[in-house]
Amino acid sequence: MRNLYLPKIVKIKAVEEQSPTVKLFRLENKFPKDKNGMVFIPGQFFLIGEMGYGEAPFGALSSPYEKKYLEFAIRKAGNVTNYLHNLQAGDTLEIRGPYGNGFPLDFMKEKDVVLVTGGCGIPPIASLIEYIIVHREHFGNVYLLYGAKTPDELLLKDRIERWKKSINVILTIDKPAFNWQGPVGFVSDLVKEIKINELDAVAAMCGPGPMMDALEKILKPLGISDRRIFVNMERKMQCGIGKCQHCTCGKNYVCLNGPVFTYDEIENAHD
Amino acid sequence: MLCIKESEINNFLEKLKENYEVFDVRNDLLPFKQYFLPPEEKIFEKKKNKIKAALKPAPFVLFGLSFYDLEALNQLDEIMEKPVEDYFYFQRRNQSIVIGLIEEDIDSLPGGEIVFQKINNDYYRVWFKSKKEQQWLKKYRKFFEEIKNLEITPQKSQKIDDWHFEMRQLLLDPEKLAKAVEWSENHPIWDELAKTCLGCGICTYLCPLCYCFSWEDKKTIEGESYRVRKWAACTLNDFAMVAGGHNFRKELKKRYYNWFYHKFVRGYYEWGKSLCVGCGRCHQNCPAQIDILKVLKTILSDYEKSLSAKNS
Repeated sequence: MRNLYLPKIVKIKAVEEQSPTVKLFRLENKFPKDKNGMVFIPGQFFLIGEMGYGEAPFGALSSPYEKKYLEFAIRKAGNVTNYLHNLQAGDTLEIRGPYGNGFPLDFMKEKDVVLVTGGCGIPPIASLIEYIIVHREHFGNVYLLYGAKTPDELLLKDRIERWKKSINVILTIDKPAFNWQGPVGFVSDLVKEIKINELDAVAAMCGPGPMMDALEKILKPLGISDRRIFVNMERKMQCGIGKCQHCTCGKNYVCLNGPVFTYDEIENAHD
Repeated sequence: MLCIKESEINNFLEKLKENYEVFDVRNDLLPFKQYFLPPEEKIFEKKKNKIKAALKPAPFVLFGLSFYDLEALNQLDEIMEKPVEDYFYFQRRNQSIVIGLIEEDIDSLPGGEIVFQKINNDYYRVWFKSKKEQQWLKKYRKFFEEIKNLEITPQKSQKIDDWHFEMRQLLLDPEKLAKAVEWSENHPIWDELAKTCLGCGICTYLCPLCYCFSWEDKKTIEGESYRVRKWAACTLNDFAMVAGGHNFRKELKKRYYNWFYHKFVRGYYEWGKSLCVGCGRCHQNCPAQIDILKVLKTILSDYEKSLSAKNS
């Protein structure tokens, strides 16, 4: 009988400050590749922590094809993440996973893709972008709409520059700032900049607050149906394998049936 | 028919104590789940950067489970087994032999490994799960008798009290319960219950089929770290709270509804049965005297009214 609660101890290869509250952790990878050559499916999550402090769920942001390391962006928010923020390259931490379903990659292929995310919701979308770039010829027009409260809180800036060579990137911030020339908020005007075939397009979303705005002001006017909007959900996680009940959402378990749901699955579900 | 005389049961248990730790659950306040999913269990320990999982317990016998508890055990075994096994539950469960003690009329084993079913004033009929248990019983053959044409007099099933009878009747139609509870999300009863309920979680602790749990990590001054698995209750405030303080189920009303939702809706769609066997512990021990049967009856009757209004 395998003990699925037993985490692996892995070395931290690098820590990089991303914003005043977010650090990027590059971890040694001890997980095997699947038959498609991927260590995880973009959108899946891992439970990361340390015995004595606890565990918390994080979506990996590195390329799923990268077998040497896994990368995570971790925001300082509670006990576990406070502890993790004190760690440095060379230290170890504990990880188990990957868990959940991930984005429906095959379904998304040969379609236009609109990716919408905010703040520290970028990791699963980032790894999805890495996947799209590897298979670029199998995707239509691809747009990333990424918003944050302030320019400082936009994460992964160096990667975003690299992505711009392969996909369209639109960055927004919530309030005007003197060093910001781009759009402010997920405003309806952005719709004009997005050229997709609404009958053959999908959207993927992850992140907090402004997402509902993005949905109402951008995805709905673009004509993407609820069935084709894939939302990466956040819930309290403990076991990760569908037992403990903390992450349930209506009839679903975010850890098993999710964390990626179609928008019509969650819209009317009791949570 | 393999039987055991009532007067031999204690001798049998005494004999078992030579090889096993024997727990008699008949006077326990907490349900049997505590032996497989303890209220608090140290599951991991980390020393010098090595993680050690808790070891399995010595073989033990759990004696005296009621008919309701045997049914609940059967269901809990399934829940903990699928889709993937819960390591720490089965580490204990696999070391146990569960013996039920019932008076109800049965035609198959309701759960556990062995059942003593009272069939008349002197005798219990012995039911066992498989050849493995049959072999095991042979080791203690001096306490058992093979009897033909034993007189069987009806026992408890004819004398079930009204509360249990009604509850069991409702549980016969889990589909209807699921539909009614799902329909009831905006029913005023949840506002009333949120005012009555103290949010203490006793109902969930005493329920043989409530199995929510949380991790709690601890650190000693000597530098050892532990992970403890503890019972959780979905009615408690922090059940769906994430780091940073956001609470996905902030109101007691939502949490209380979720308790019913898990038992009768999500549980039904997952397992084909309600996560309730009608044992009555929750209503007997609720400090606010909430009666699960009354709640279900109110919801069902209003649900039926809404259906007939729709159809007329």
